[in-house]
Amino acid sequence: MVKAIEINNLKYSYDEQPLFNDFNLNIEAGQWVALVGHNGSGKSTLAKLILGLLVADEGQIIVFDEQLSIESVHRVRAKIGMVFQNPDNQFVGATVADDVAFGLENTKVDSSDMPQKIDAALTVVGMQDFKDREPHTLSGGQKQRVALASVLALQPKIIILDEATAMLDPDGRMTVMETLQQLKQQFGQNLTLITITHDMDEATLADRVVVINDGRKILDGTPAKVFSQRRVLHDNGLELPFANELAYQLDKKPEDYMDERELIQWLSTLNK
Amino acid sequence: MNNIMIGRFVPGDSWIHRLDPRTKMIGTFIFIFVMLWANSWATYAWSAAFVFAMIRLTKQPFKLYWDGLKPIFWLILFTIILQLFFTPGEPVLFQAGPLKITVPGIINAIYVMIRFVLIILMSTILTLTTAPTSIANALESLLKPLKKLHVPVAELALMLSIALRFVPLLMDETQKIMNAQKSRGMSFSTGGPIKRARAIVPLLIPLFVGALQRALDLANAMEVRGFQDATQRTKYRILSYGSEDSKAFAGLFIFSVLFIAIKFFIKY
Repeated sequence: MVKAIEINNLKYSYDEQPLFNDFNLNIEAGQWVALVGHNGSGKSTLAKLILGLLVADEGQIIVFDEQLSIESVHRVRAKIGMVFQNPDNQFVGATVADDVAFGLENTKVDSSDMPQKIDAALTVVGMQDFKDREPHTLSGGQKQRVALASVLALQPKIIILDEATAMLDPDGRMTVMETLQQLKQQFGQNLTLITITHDMDEATLADRVVVINDGRKILDGTPAKVFSQRRVLHDNGLELPFANELAYQLDKKPEDYMDERELIQWLSTLNK
Repeated sequence: MNNIMIGRFVPGDSWIHRLDPRTKMIGTFIFIFVMLWANSWATYAWSAAFVFAMIRLTKQPFKLYWDGLKPIFWLILFTIILQLFFTPGEPVLFQAGPLKITVPGIINAIYVMIRFVLIILMSTILTLTTAPTSIANALESLLKPLKKLHVPVAELALMLSIALRFVPLLMDETQKIMNAQKSRGMSFSTGGPIKRARAIVPLLIPLFVGALQRALDLANAMEVRGFQDATQRTKYRILSYGSEDSKAFAGLFIFSVLFIAIKFFIKY
């Protein structure tokens, strides 16, 4: 088993408030891991720590055998691609093609190789026909797919999506999730995917779900295992995925004897 | 809000679109420089003919150019009025105190109007047919000599292209904040100038906060995608000066020579 990301004894304080205290997490290469937690649980901070956008107080972050440090931060970043929450605030180029080119320009890819790489990356996310479009003519979902293409063009081993669908309409959310599934199929073991989200339906697509709250790992396991812990999820401000919640509600039945009137009353409480 | 979009680019495939952005930039400057020497109907007519020929070559509907003129309508009107009332000379057609309308005044006002309109049309041709990134690239290339003086040309060009890219976004945001405040009873169009100026303050604060947040987000996104140093990057859009660009300069040269000829030999 190759470890894509290894986090050991991580400590990090934000405004003198300890957020992570002795946090440990291993992510296997080729896995799709969903990091879930409610707002302020520390999941986005964790992504920024992994990329060296924030610096940990203590502990180790190791990405494919390379420990994150001031010297290695650019090499580590080259292995990781990240898609952020706000589609507009990560669109650097004036057009779709220019945006995908931005990362290639930074990594000193030869100008003559760029058009082909840009086309390839845009084709993967199904945006090849929008090459010359400007960002303000695209929908949120389309912009996020371009952001994904921009990241893919750099051929990272790990892609982190930090609430990438949170600002999208249901339609855009669906296309982005479909694109991710397709990516995972296409790259298989060569791509480690980390989706940070508070949308449980998204988390069900992952191989492994890690629930974080107050900088601690609350639950960790397959979606089936994690989503069987309804009580624990609720205590940490999370809902079950819609299908699970429905099944749970349908499964409830009265424990004591009831007459007709009581049963009607009980049934009406289900609708709340 | 959309019709005052500065530097609006319309993708296309005309001969002008395909020219090197540096050619278009220098060409525009040369044209404006030459045109400032116009002083007769014939020279203005010749300049206008050149501009309209260029507009035809861009293969864009004239309405787009008209939209480009609209925002500066008041500025044009203001200068026309100044010229109209304050040009001395004979014969005087009308006088009221210090204000007088003279024949040279009328002619001057029309000249100034034509000059204004032609300069705006010419720069609209530049911005309409050139992607903002290309303009930034052209600027970077043209200002390259300044690098020797330690002017951070590459950084400035990148800043310019990002700034241009965020113009429509910030316009949208302004509109949204205005609408949000209007819906809570704020009025931006009533009251005296002081009251109106005050109404702008609560508009600017959220706009600035939003812009700073965007800047921070963008900085993160740029760093994650490997941005380290603006000078150590390759370029996706390579500027290439070709034979078509030489043709463009030749055309401009012919225009200028004929312009001088008209200026000295035709007295109308």
